[in-house]
Amino acid sequence: MRRVAVIGVGVTKFGLHDRTSAELFADAAGDALTDAGIPASAVQALYYGNVVGGETEHQLHTGPQAASVLGIPSVPTTRFETACASSHAAFRHAVMEIGAGVSDVILVGGAERVLNVSTAESTEYFAYASDAVWEQPLGLTFPGVFALIARAHMEKYGTTEAQMAAVAVKNHRHGALNPKAQFQKQITIDQVLRSAYVADPLKLFDCCPFSDGGAAVVLASEEVARRHRKPVWVLASAAASDWMLLGDKRDLARVPATERAAAAAYRQAGLGPTDVDVVELHDCFTIAEIVATEGLGLVEPGAGGRAAETGLTSLGGEVPVNPSGGLKAKGHPIGATGAAQIAEIVTQLRGEAGPRQVDGARTGLTHTLGGNTATVLVSLFGRD
Amino acid sequence: MTEPVITTRAFFERARAGQLTAVRCGSCGELAIPPKELCPACHARAWQPVPLVGEGTIASFTVIRVAPRAHAADAPYAIAVVKLQEGVSILGRIVDIPLDKVAVGLPVRFRPLGSQDQTSVGFGPLG
Repeated sequence: MRRVAVIGVGVTKFGLHDRTSAELFADAAGDALTDAGIPASAVQALYYGNVVGGETEHQLHTGPQAASVLGIPSVPTTRFETACASSHAAFRHAVMEIGAGVSDVILVGGAERVLNVSTAESTEYFAYASDAVWEQPLGLTFPGVFALIARAHMEKYGTTEAQMAAVAVKNHRHGALNPKAQFQKQITIDQVLRSAYVADPLKLFDCCPFSDGGAAVVLASEEVARRHRKPVWVLASAAASDWMLLGDKRDLARVPATERAAAAAYRQAGLGPTDVDVVELHDCFTIAEIVATEGLGLVEPGAGGRAAETGLTSLGGEVPVNPSGGLKAKGHPIGATGAAQIAEIVTQLRGEAGPRQVDGARTGLTHTLGGNTATVLVSLFGRD
Repeated sequence: MTEPVITTRAFFERARAGQLTAVRCGSCGELAIPPKELCPACHARAWQPVPLVGEGTIASFTVIRVAPRAHAADAPYAIAVVKLQEGVSILGRIVDIPLDKVAVGLPVRFRPLGSQDQTSVGFGPLG
């Protein structure tokens, strides 16, 4: 495989927008091309993440639609849908295509618009990523999926609601340093613990928000990347899946797809968890960050709650996790999330993250989880 | 094409009659619920339907307070992963147990939940 680099990134502010998801993507993609310093004519393919466009915007065929709105209608394009991991799956596909020598420059991105519909509607649409025969008819929601995981983790390891709250507090503290974040204000443990239950034991402040937003990254072969500023190298990109049904998962306190994707990524890169300086991982709920830090091997199984509480995963800690504010504070426009996480790690490895910069970061990791933990993507990045 | 040992439709027909059904692999003995095409353990295609006792204990649960539109009138309601006596697990709605009594380890019994043409998996008190 040829070496692949990220040479440009762009992200819109996350939150409420009065623009279509295609417009949000195009905005981010324009910034990513400018950042890369290459003309749009150099782009040979677009791989795109969008999840509930059919429901919230009555829009399918979102790949070519996004390309048209951007103004590059003739490139081959495909929409990837792996629930919340969609644009990270698109990214992996692009890495393989450039690695295989098929293309030299590929645009990867994603976007989502959900704040144009009610919370009850978006709750229903997000639940479409769980099983339509066996789970949706029971009234299962996404907070419900992670509440079942949280309860299992509390039973098995003694994880507490206060430890989960510590994840929210940390990520809001980080988000306050990110001008693109949906929430740029700090919160307290008390505020989290006093917020209303959404799906016990998860409360409102354990949950990431619904968000609109777009993100894009430009990938290039080594030969092209060498001509551009500060390439960030893709050291690995791996995917794994797991059973869809919660009843089929043997241990709800673990996420086997995270463990498998991480093992494959570390193997590809010849690295291990202790080599990672900065992490953007999938904290759609506070418990999701806890199980992800464990599954990625950053902490021992069962130690994820304590890691948030003691500051191990804070900016300035041993392994800073989610310096962007994570999905929790930065926001979670689901089709854009994977690309936005990659954009943050690239910004960190370039040393351009400003007040949220992880000093001297050389190796970064992104982890994106799809839906009911049935899809996970893990990628590793490094700089020269 | 092989005729499936038990389709989703057949599963729910039996469920409606009060019978929870799993499949057992005729090659390696693996038990699965709901039915799958291939045995996840040995990849054989040799299932036999197996009636289950329908009793188990709650392995994890949540109380849904913000519900999808179709279930908004039911909220709050409990959903649980139930580990059945035979060792397999399945997700179900908890009924007829006060929400503050729902707990990990609580014994429950299968109960079909019905609305018009849709049957779903429920669990109620054992007694």
